[in-house]
Amino acid sequence: METKINIGPVHPATHGVLRLVVTLDGDTIKRVEPYIGYLHRGVEKLVETRMFMQSPSYMEKLDYVAPMSYDELYVSTIEAAMGIEVKERAKYLRMILLELQRIASHLLWLATTANDVGQWFTIYMWAFADRDRVLKLLEEATGARMFYVNMRLGGLNRDVPEQFGENAIKLMEYLDKRLPDYESFLEGNPVFLERMRGVGILKKSDAVKYGATGPVLRGSGIDYDARSNHSYYLYKELNFYASFETKGDCLARYKVRIKEIKTSINLVMSAVNKMPKGDALGMPIKLINPEPKNKEVLVRRELPRGESLMYLVADKQRPYRLGIRSPTFVNLSLTQHLPIGARIADLFPILASLDPVMGDSDR
Amino acid sequence: MSEDKDNAKVQMDKLVAESLKGREFPVNALFTKLSDITKAIADPAVKWSRSNSLWPLQFGLACCAIELMAFGSPRVDAERDGFLLFRGTPRQSDVMVVAGWVTKSMLPQVKRLYEQMSEPRYVIAFGECATCGGPWWESYNIIKGIDQVIPVDVYVAGCPPRPELLFSALLKLKEKVGGKIVENKP
Repeated sequence: METKINIGPVHPATHGVLRLVVTLDGDTIKRVEPYIGYLHRGVEKLVETRMFMQSPSYMEKLDYVAPMSYDELYVSTIEAAMGIEVKERAKYLRMILLELQRIASHLLWLATTANDVGQWFTIYMWAFADRDRVLKLLEEATGARMFYVNMRLGGLNRDVPEQFGENAIKLMEYLDKRLPDYESFLEGNPVFLERMRGVGILKKSDAVKYGATGPVLRGSGIDYDARSNHSYYLYKELNFYASFETKGDCLARYKVRIKEIKTSINLVMSAVNKMPKGDALGMPIKLINPEPKNKEVLVRRELPRGESLMYLVADKQRPYRLGIRSPTFVNLSLTQHLPIGARIADLFPILASLDPVMGDSDR
Repeated sequence: MSEDKDNAKVQMDKLVAESLKGREFPVNALFTKLSDITKAIADPAVKWSRSNSLWPLQFGLACCAIELMAFGSPRVDAERDGFLLFRGTPRQSDVMVVAGWVTKSMLPQVKRLYEQMSEPRYVIAFGECATCGGPWWESYNIIKGIDQVIPVDVYVAGCPPRPELLFSALLKLKEKVGGKIVENKP
């Protein structure tokens, strides 16, 4: 006998306002229909009514777990349209800030996922305490805790304070020592392993077919990362390599994210050491900017949730059309395929391993 | 036996007299209806206990929900004042923290959650979006302020407000519910 249950849009484990209608046979999942759009507010349309540099604040609210990454993506899209070069020191600083943001985002993911699979408050408290340390460093560098609006055309809003490099390296060394604690707590825990291992397996071919991105794609054994494949900034100079796992289950996705935190720690350390002195400030915000040289640009960046693309058709002073490809939206489509045949209790580890942020997918 | 009964009666009278001390009552208070007296005695006790067990609803919408999560993290440590019993169901909670923008499609759900909460219920509008629409005020799909739909007790400004501000908002609410100023000031 088939039963239908409705999960969400307000549910503690859906990581936002996602609604899933699940058809069950016993407790085996037969069909999942995701309903999204509960946070839709028409960002792409709103941006068309704003001047170029009025919009970064809107962009940050797309992915509110890692706001700076969207900020940077939007500003570099405008830079590409106007043909503005980014200053050398600003490139390093942007990379450092983005990687710090990635660490903060992955730590939040770790906290909520550990909550979902029954590791109640321990990991939540640890990860949030460490995330707050990272946010404090970002606050030191940019002046804000969550929404930074720190990117300007050609550089940054403000240079970092003198002790920033020292503090960053101190924090990275601390996190480097701290991460094995998380790993031994989770990977030595039979409950966590049982709920993650072999659950929600995404085959390599399916990952390509459904267009998965980010850690979900890399968890299925595909070595694709926009940072290395479409090298931007100075990731090549810092010997960046993408981390991937082959098994394609929830545990593989968890491992990819843990590896990414480690990679980010190394990237921040080496970027701080190599960072040149000089000017990092961008153009101050003006309503009237130089007219864009390229009327149509496409920029891609690797966000913590996956690869995001921004497609801009530029008018004279404002976007004529701004298209956003959000990684969460693509990954959420997997909720239709991954849980089929799994138990209803496995739905939440699977959903958590996709790391959805609903503001990103609903736009 | 009779002595014990008498003693109890004397003690009860003492308690009643003590609890009435300092309160404004008509001179013939003891001759008014019994229900009024019990109400006068019970009200402060009810207020006190209500103000000290405000259980928030585990309900996040958007960006501010991340700060709502940080509110439960060690940095803010909300548990020291008893605010960390986030309930998953509206039927067990007293406070709804509207954290994020409310769209037209989400509005029925928010309203329903509020109606499912048992009375007395309180609402905190957390952040710009819940207060007035925030940066999305021009959007076609946004409710410009949750107070158009459900009554709001405390407004918190900020985009997003820091988690400490939620703490201070809950302390404000505690004052409001208790009917007096509490010792802990934010």
